[in-house]
Amino acid sequence: MAGSQRGIARISGYLPLLRLDRAAAAKALRFSGLGGRGAGYRSVAGWDEDAFTLATEAARGTLVGSYPTQLIFASTSAPFIERSHAGVMIDALALPRTTRTQDVAGSRRCGLSALLDALLGRGDTLVAAGESRPAKAGNPFHFSFGDGGAAALVSDDAPARLIGHASLSHDLVDLYTSREHPTPYSYEERFVKDTATRGIIVPTIKAALADAGVAASDISQCVIIEPLAGMARDVAKLTGITAPNHAADLSAQAGDLGAAHPLFALALALDAAKPGDKVLVAGFGSGCDALVFDVAGQVPGAADTKAVLSQGLVFADYTRFLSLTGALSLDWGVRSEFEQKAQATVLERNGRDTIGFIGGRDAAGNVQFPKSRIPIRPDADGPEPLEDVRLADLTGTLVSVTADRLNFTPDPPFWFGLVQFENGARVMMELTDADARGFAVGDRLTMRLRIKSHDKRRGFRTWFWKAAPLARPEMEG
Amino acid sequence: MATGIKDKVAIIGMGCTEFGEHWDKSPEDLMATAFEEALADAGIARDQIGAAWMGNALDDINVGNSALPLAHALRLKTIPVSRVENMCATGTEALRAATYAVAAGAVDIAVAVGVEKLKDTGYGGLPLRTKGLANDLWLPYGSAPGTFAQLAGAYAAKHGVEAGDLKRAMAHVSWKSHQNGAENAKAHLRKAVDIETILKAPMIADPLGLFDCCGVSDGAACVIVTTPDIAKGLGIANPVTVKAIQVCASHGWEMGYGEWDGASVRNTQVASQRAYAEAGIAPGDLSLTEVHDCFSVTELVTMEDLGLSAEGRAIFDVLDGRYDRGGALPCQTDGGLKCFGHPVGASGLRMAYEVYAQLLGRAGSRQLAKVDFGLTHNLGGQPANSVAAVSILGRLN
Repeated sequence: MAGSQRGIARISGYLPLLRLDRAAAAKALRFSGLGGRGAGYRSVAGWDEDAFTLATEAARGTLVGSYPTQLIFASTSAPFIERSHAGVMIDALALPRTTRTQDVAGSRRCGLSALLDALLGRGDTLVAAGESRPAKAGNPFHFSFGDGGAAALVSDDAPARLIGHASLSHDLVDLYTSREHPTPYSYEERFVKDTATRGIIVPTIKAALADAGVAASDISQCVIIEPLAGMARDVAKLTGITAPNHAADLSAQAGDLGAAHPLFALALALDAAKPGDKVLVAGFGSGCDALVFDVAGQVPGAADTKAVLSQGLVFADYTRFLSLTGALSLDWGVRSEFEQKAQATVLERNGRDTIGFIGGRDAAGNVQFPKSRIPIRPDADGPEPLEDVRLADLTGTLVSVTADRLNFTPDPPFWFGLVQFENGARVMMELTDADARGFAVGDRLTMRLRIKSHDKRRGFRTWFWKAAPLARPEMEG
Repeated sequence: MATGIKDKVAIIGMGCTEFGEHWDKSPEDLMATAFEEALADAGIARDQIGAAWMGNALDDINVGNSALPLAHALRLKTIPVSRVENMCATGTEALRAATYAVAAGAVDIAVAVGVEKLKDTGYGGLPLRTKGLANDLWLPYGSAPGTFAQLAGAYAAKHGVEAGDLKRAMAHVSWKSHQNGAENAKAHLRKAVDIETILKAPMIADPLGLFDCCGVSDGAACVIVTTPDIAKGLGIANPVTVKAIQVCASHGWEMGYGEWDGASVRNTQVASQRAYAEAGIAPGDLSLTEVHDCFSVTELVTMEDLGLSAEGRAIFDVLDGRYDRGGALPCQTDGGLKCFGHPVGASGLRMAYEVYAQLLGRAGSRQLAKVDFGLTHNLGGQPANSVAAVSILGRLN
């Protein structure tokens, strides 16, 4: 690896607003003896978030005026099986359609494996991982998982340079999910701990350290993915690494983010690193990838990702948690039966401008969404060419609003209102991520990519942008 | 140069079913019932009708598209029968079509029937349908109360009104309509309700509570129109005539251009100004109004949009009782959408039915002392994207 400056140029993590207080929520399971030790927080996707939106939000944090030549989406809980999320994501991010795209999956290691491939490859490459993994109520993973996204932009001139790596493929079935069993089925913990630690993780880390030419004691920050809590202690003992493990911190504060976990925790490690530090990241799942970085300076996005951890809305309502995670299917009544079928022809015509939130600027400079042949400007009296303007990265102000309690939404109430952008555009939008105060006229808003329609009958969904409060509440403590 | 519709068309017969939960009646039953009352009122034979229009907003709820349901229900033989739809302005659109046909000399006598069978949805409130269209990819699936509730916050913000004060004025709007509805045998909701009950009702879409929302009903209403000369020939010396009908539709300005403040409905303002001009009257000449009180806040804002209250003053006029039945300009003497009910396609004609009754002195215990001109106002869609229809009715002489 000597001489190469290829590494991580930007990094970003994204979490949903909601954080379940595990201890408080676990009380609902006390009768059963299930629920585990119940400490820390679990990030919980809103009803309108999925692995794709979480990854996309993370990816937004890595794109500052540059277009990657390749985009890789990594997830084990992606909503579609045959439909490329990376292909949709370039539209959501308004990237050129000539961007090479691929989706990777297969194990929760896929995010880090994709990152390693990007680091060993060519051209600016964006790796975006997202997870919102289902689990059955009572299963320990239901509490230990978290929902979130993380992304890293790899380029040839980067402050966090890859200096060594190693990989091991090993079909250790510690847990699995399948089409027939979409929630995790896991095997005996002691078996997993012993086998994964000694047979997979430790040898891979040692090989990566050797490849990088650094000693375990040189590692100042690390990310070691533990298939089960507490394993990192054994790994540290066997490898000699004493650096703080940011993967464990992330698990405690948000949960195990699956394919996004190594990337998110790497952002935390890079934030903690000083120039000259060596950082190790080891991802697990059907084997192990271990990467060693040399940190030359601050990695853009790392500090913002650290801040994300402490911003959120804590809740303890176990039933709401069950409903949001799909572990409980409430009967929402007849109103929830409304038809949401999307048409492929309409998506073909309007999909890119919609999911990219692309409006148009008319000859007088006014921006509107959606675009139209004759502009919406009152004095426009005929067709005008409109110049594309992306609204997704702008802020808006609320002109009117309500909390609709009549219409079906999986997490009432249904907030929506008229949003005014400074460039003139005005859009009636759904609002999301309401805090305890709710929304009011005059609120400043930021845009978030979310599920717009979910046609459960046909297994299809569409995404659009929703307006959210500009800032999130700081979590207490 | 257009000369307008004033006094070119006379209303010689009207009918209206009871509005409500007609579990036992089909839309055909309702249309026929309203029509039979109108036919008897007009004193004409069925075969004198030259053309018919059916107003129905939600064809997918047990009515069906086209005007065939009307042709079948009334057994209208070989005459032109058409369906019109313009959301909640549908009833007035049907009246407009029939009126224009007579004014144009295309037919001597025309009929318009509005109908809706909302109680066949299986739940309360209006149904929600998406059709996989481009707008479905981005527009929120807001309910009707949700879209109209937006008026309240924007109005309060614009005029610096405390939320509690606005809520009390809204409650008075509903209280007044319940008072009137209690005296209307055809109304869906015939019970007076006190202010405290209204204020404490469950929230539907902030700040609209249950009693801020109109009834969702089954029903039909019918009008028969002809020329004033033919009316005279039928023995109606001083018929009720159409003084004005105006419709104004959004073209995207409110929802898409950064100018509208969300606290008023421009289409109502424009349509009413045109209607006053067409009728040759001023707002102060009106004796009563039947406005689109789908939600209490809509009626409140409409009082300003119609030029009846000064901007920002409607809450004071409402609380002062100006629009109560005993007030200076009664509104919703029949209970309005709030209590008579709101079978969408019928509502515009139901409003005309009350104005017609008041003009002819037939309103019973609700009868006003002096009635010269009555205004009806329909508002389809939502404040941010609407169709407003305003009609003014009076006597020929």
